[in-house]
Amino acid sequence: MSTIVETAPRGPTRRRMRVDGWRWAGRIFLVFMLLYTALPMIWMLLTSIKSGFAAMQFPPQWWPEEPTLASYQKLLDPQNSVGQDFLRFFWNSLYVSTATTILSVIVAVPAAYAFSRFRFPGRNFLFFTVLLRNMFPAVIFLVPLFILMRAIGLVNTHGSLILTYLTFGLPLAIWLLKGFYDNIPVQLEQAARIDGATRFQAFILIVMPLSTPGIIATAIYSFIGAWNEYIYAYTFLSKNEQLTLPVGIQRFFSENTTDFPGLMAASFMMSVPVVVLFLVLQRYFVRALTEGAVKH
Amino acid sequence: MAHVVLKDLVKTYGGFKAVNDVSLTVNDGEFVALVGPSGCGKTTTLNLVAGLIPVTSGDIVIGDRVVNDLDPKDRDIAMVFQNYALYPQKSVYKNLAFPLQMRKLPRDEIDRKVKEAARVLDMTHLLERKPRELSGGQQQRVALGRALVRDPAVFLMDEPLSNLDAKLRVQMRSEIKRFHQDLKATIIYVTHDQLEAVTMADKMAVMNGGYLLQYDSPAQVFAHPVNMFVASFIGSPAMSLIPLEASTANGNTALTGAEGWSLELSPLNAQKVAKATSGKVVLGARHSTIRLHKSAVPGSVPARAYTVEPTGDVTFVQALLSGAIVNISVSPNISVAPDEQIWLEFDQERIHLFDGETELALKAG
Repeated sequence: MSTIVETAPRGPTRRRMRVDGWRWAGRIFLVFMLLYTALPMIWMLLTSIKSGFAAMQFPPQWWPEEPTLASYQKLLDPQNSVGQDFLRFFWNSLYVSTATTILSVIVAVPAAYAFSRFRFPGRNFLFFTVLLRNMFPAVIFLVPLFILMRAIGLVNTHGSLILTYLTFGLPLAIWLLKGFYDNIPVQLEQAARIDGATRFQAFILIVMPLSTPGIIATAIYSFIGAWNEYIYAYTFLSKNEQLTLPVGIQRFFSENTTDFPGLMAASFMMSVPVVVLFLVLQRYFVRALTEGAVKH
Repeated sequence: MAHVVLKDLVKTYGGFKAVNDVSLTVNDGEFVALVGPSGCGKTTTLNLVAGLIPVTSGDIVIGDRVVNDLDPKDRDIAMVFQNYALYPQKSVYKNLAFPLQMRKLPRDEIDRKVKEAARVLDMTHLLERKPRELSGGQQQRVALGRALVRDPAVFLMDEPLSNLDAKLRVQMRSEIKRFHQDLKATIIYVTHDQLEAVTMADKMAVMNGGYLLQYDSPAQVFAHPVNMFVASFIGSPAMSLIPLEASTANGNTALTGAEGWSLELSPLNAQKVAKATSGKVVLGARHSTIRLHKSAVPGSVPARAYTVEPTGDVTFVQALLSGAIVNISVSPNISVAPDEQIWLEFDQERIHLFDGETELALKAG
């Protein structure tokens, strides 16, 4: 009896300590990662509510002494020229990104479905050529695409950007969605067709709702890609009123003396749509993960 | 309900013939099982009837219509899939309602039919659940409900029980049989489990390699298998097939085993052996038709016990005879030890004889 009393507490304590050691190492690592990603964002936010003078001080003001929303007011005020430009760039970006997203979903959904369900000659070959584009750095295509756009008269139009972003986004969108369709048992469609649906109805009523998480993931991917793209927008567009946010912010603020609070406020507002998109749609990602876990 | 006729049905994939000249008639209200090992073409045949894959040649008739070129939705069929294929995003109620909605029935009629089907299958309390919240047996029932809610001309079932555990399978087997009797439904049922086919079906179609080998009642198939494949596939434990040499001397025909013993045949069996294309004859016998003796008796042949498997109410002995394994069932109070010398006596009226070259059953007259 006495031996049991003596040994029993030692084993579990030792084991618990080892687990705790690893757990703490993990926590420290996560905190480090969190600081690494969050600190620049926090600094961006803090700088954006400083005055222009406070932002240039050294040693820096770690916490703004006189916080002000002046930069935001300036950027969002349609009355002054800075605000007009910023709002125009914002809408340009929103237009290009939304159009890219909608078109890429419209093309990727049927393409991915066809690659997943139909056996046709050249299927594998086509599927890999779809990916071929993504095997090269984007910059390689800059000049050829510019010449192409000039030839078809699309330079200095938003259409040139939308087309270009589609060539980046579509291959991965198709690849991603095909994976989703592969995981939806073909018997579901067969059952629907026997239950009285046409092939198209079976797709719309049964397969589409099941692939919603995949479609949303694809859409977010396309949107963010288009929203953040810089080099093509910089090359294809030269008229001030057409610029998208990444180019516009950079060009606009470096022309004057660099207004850091203004730059940071603009950057912060540029990140808002992406963050909102993630927050609103993240439950679909979670659902996609859990559903994948229990099916088959 | 309706009858189904398959006429010279062929399905090829490239050069591969998955279904080879299959012809059979399923009468109105009949329960037919398509049975065979995996890859024998039974599921392909069912999918052809369902219209999920196009026919290469031949005709499919449901009721009085040739349905070859009709969409699945226009064939008036219902199908139960092996993995149930319940719509995961829909509740049980909506799963059952879907076929009715597709046929644009009025809402109150849909409601009435769904509730009626739920009542018949005893799952009224499950109507609001999602398929993933149900057990395997309940999912199976919903799949069955979705088929019967529409009152189709033909029910097609593709291994509906193979995903259930053994106990539930036996229970659902009798439920489906009951379902068939109550509805007088025409059912085509695909299974690789010969026991399901034998216990449930009015007729069974034994398939192998894309060919329909035998189409008859389970009793007939059991008693008169057309070839060695059907003989060994139907019945459990499988029929023992023993390769022997036939010889005739002084008007008497005998079969000789590899160990040198010989078994004199009855006149009827001698007639059958006379039809063989060569001297090679295969003797088939089911476990219950062989008697086991501990000492030599007239007409018995010597064998060696190999394994002994007591199951409680019956003991199965496997013995080595002429290079083949022979299954014998004996009363549990007979004790046999492995490697013990035993003697086997065949019931000449109940043995099967096959041509060793063509593998076809030998017939007298």
